Amino acid sequence: MRIVAHIRNAALRAVIDEVAGDINATVSESPDALSSNGTGPEDVPDVMIVELTDSTDTHHLRSAARRAHAALLFVCAEDESCPNLALADADDWMLLPVTSDELKLRMIIAQKRSRGARSVRTTADAAELVRYEELLYDKRTGFPTLPVMIENARSLLERRGELTVLYIHFVWYEKIEEIYGWQKLDDVLETTAQAVRRFYANEASSSENIMMVSHVADDDFILFTEVPSSPYAAEQRLRMISERLESFLRSNMEDGHGDDIAALCGIYVGAATIFRNPKIRTERLIYRGIREAAQAARGAEQWERTRKVSDLKSTIRDGAVFIEYHPIIVTATEEVYGFEALARGVRRELRSPEVLFEVAEEANLVWELSRLLRQRAVSGIYDELKDGQFLFLNIDPHDFDDPTFRNLDPEELGISDPSRVVLEITERTAIKDYPRFKEYLDVFRARGFRFAVDDAGSGYAGLGSIANLEPDYIKLDISLIANIDTNFLKQNLVETMVSFANSQGTQVIAEGVERREEFETVKQLGVHFTQGFLFHRPRYAGLPASRKASHVSHASTKVDPDPEERGGL
Amino acid sequence: MSDIRVMVVDDDPNALDIVRTFLESRGYEVTTASNGNEALGLLEDVNPALVLLDVMMPGMDGWEVARVIKNHPNFRRTRVVMLTARSDFADKHEGLRAGADDYIVKPIQLHELGERVELNLKAREKTA
Repeated sequence: MRIVAHIRNAALRAVIDEVAGDINATVSESPDALSSNGTGPEDVPDVMIVELTDSTDTHHLRSAARRAHAALLFVCAEDESCPNLALADADDWMLLPVTSDELKLRMIIAQKRSRGARSVRTTADAAELVRYEELLYDKRTGFPTLPVMIENARSLLERRGELTVLYIHFVWYEKIEEIYGWQKLDDVLETTAQAVRRFYANEASSSENIMMVSHVADDDFILFTEVPSSPYAAEQRLRMISERLESFLRSNMEDGHGDDIAALCGIYVGAATIFRNPKIRTERLIYRGIREAAQAARGAEQWERTRKVSDLKSTIRDGAVFIEYHPIIVTATEEVYGFEALARGVRRELRSPEVLFEVAEEANLVWELSRLLRQRAVSGIYDELKDGQFLFLNIDPHDFDDPTFRNLDPEELGISDPSRVVLEITERTAIKDYPRFKEYLDVFRARGFRFAVDDAGSGYAGLGSIANLEPDYIKLDISLIANIDTNFLKQNLVETMVSFANSQGTQVIAEGVERREEFETVKQLGVHFTQGFLFHRPRYAGLPASRKASHVSHASTKVDPDPEERGGL
Repeated sequence: MSDIRVMVVDDDPNALDIVRTFLESRGYEVTTASNGNEALGLLEDVNPALVLLDVMMPGMDGWEVARVIKNHPNFRRTRVVMLTARSDFADKHEGLRAGADDYIVKPIQLHELGERVELNLKAREKTA
């Protein structure tokens, strides 16, 4: 590829050189090269990049570019008139400063535009196009998107007569974004994309021609590949590839992000084969193939969801949940202050409480699930609590809509003294009707229950809305605690929270303390209580008899039968 | 002379000058950049131990730059200290989300700057 550049900006020149190096293009300096007549075809540029000045003759450049069938790309310093001026004549334009990624993308766009018959003359069309073109190249996964690749898919199909479409449907529970943030979700997508790449690097024979494409709008991926030999063998191979790819992606995700996050994601592969048919437009065939493969993938997802809902129903019917009790420690004395009850499903795919609740929401069984978990959480430990120890129970704000919960009789639940029970309400769930919510809280407070705001500092609510709830405890989110010993920003934030809490008569609990250094730091910052694996692994209760044995043996090294007797550490 | 490299990113040339002179007098090797793009362009070559990053810059703001640095596998250990005009809760939170390690409130007090830089470099030694 040949680039002609007329640029004064040194930084941009460097970027152009860098990009040219990447894509093996030659760069020559002046647009005058265009007007010289004696040039051979190897001298005809593919892209012209011109920095606009007042004296630039855009029309002249346009016709020179047309003659050479080159794409014309204008660069402007910050100037509001630039876009309008440039639109009239350029295939694309960009504003300084320009990164190499942007330049690459702009060059692709400009080339596509100059090749295509489509000409853009109005600003509205241009805006539309820009939006469209942002979809051309997925920065996160590094895959091109479908509009870029459809041309290649077509030529592949026309050359080979058949083409296989694998549709990788990526599903995640909203909780990932809610709990771990969108960056985490992007990481997960990136891992998936890399795994797709690695899978094919290992699995595909060198004769196979493969294209990977991002389907940005749905966070999905599409692979075009070839399937050899007879239709029957092809189908066999397709099924095999889909299954292996799916399990490969799953195990990659678990390696990279852990069971908890992997449990919140689903990967489903669907496949379809397209055969060339001269009577049908090739693009239509390709899109039809994509649709079929996507439907197959979604079908697999639907099946999985239905199965999960039915699993949840039987989980609730059989009471197939167990409770982990995480000790909370008095920071100063390292004595056990109380236990937080965390629910787990017995079935592997319903293990994580997030998944349990997500599925329950889908099946409209949230209240039923909550009731079961509350009852289990209380019965599993309440009678064993020592004097002065508290039970921390997680409450979903939706639970307050459940009349059985609102009119809860503590005795019936096995709670003889509600003041020993702390209801944890997460900061993450948006509370829509604040005054009403506050009313509910007050009813429970009047009965003697205490309150904690959970996950404080995860960024959804400011100090103000935490203060509004007048909690007895504030539980600091693990994101504030991880590596707090070396992060001064976190130290500062926690310090602010502690002094705010002290002024309100509230106490602070640090969650997720895993290292001694983290503990020493939160201690120094005046955090009242700490919770985390540094002190005790959780203890279990409520395991159904048949499962209990295997669990205890598996967990025996980490379960502390009576944390208190070991006096903290 | 120490060979600890510090990068300072600020669109205000005066601020850049002052900070550079001060840090050089303390024996650090200082690289400056006047915007986020320039800073990210220099990052691979300079590989600084610490980056002082102004929040309010035209183009890419400081949070964005911090996010890119901290998400890059080669620069996880690079200390990122924000220079910010505000020190409220929301602002610090933004910094935390971007992955920053510390912040200094503008206008910068030079003795504080020296102290924060030293503390952060010490903390960096502790991170593997």
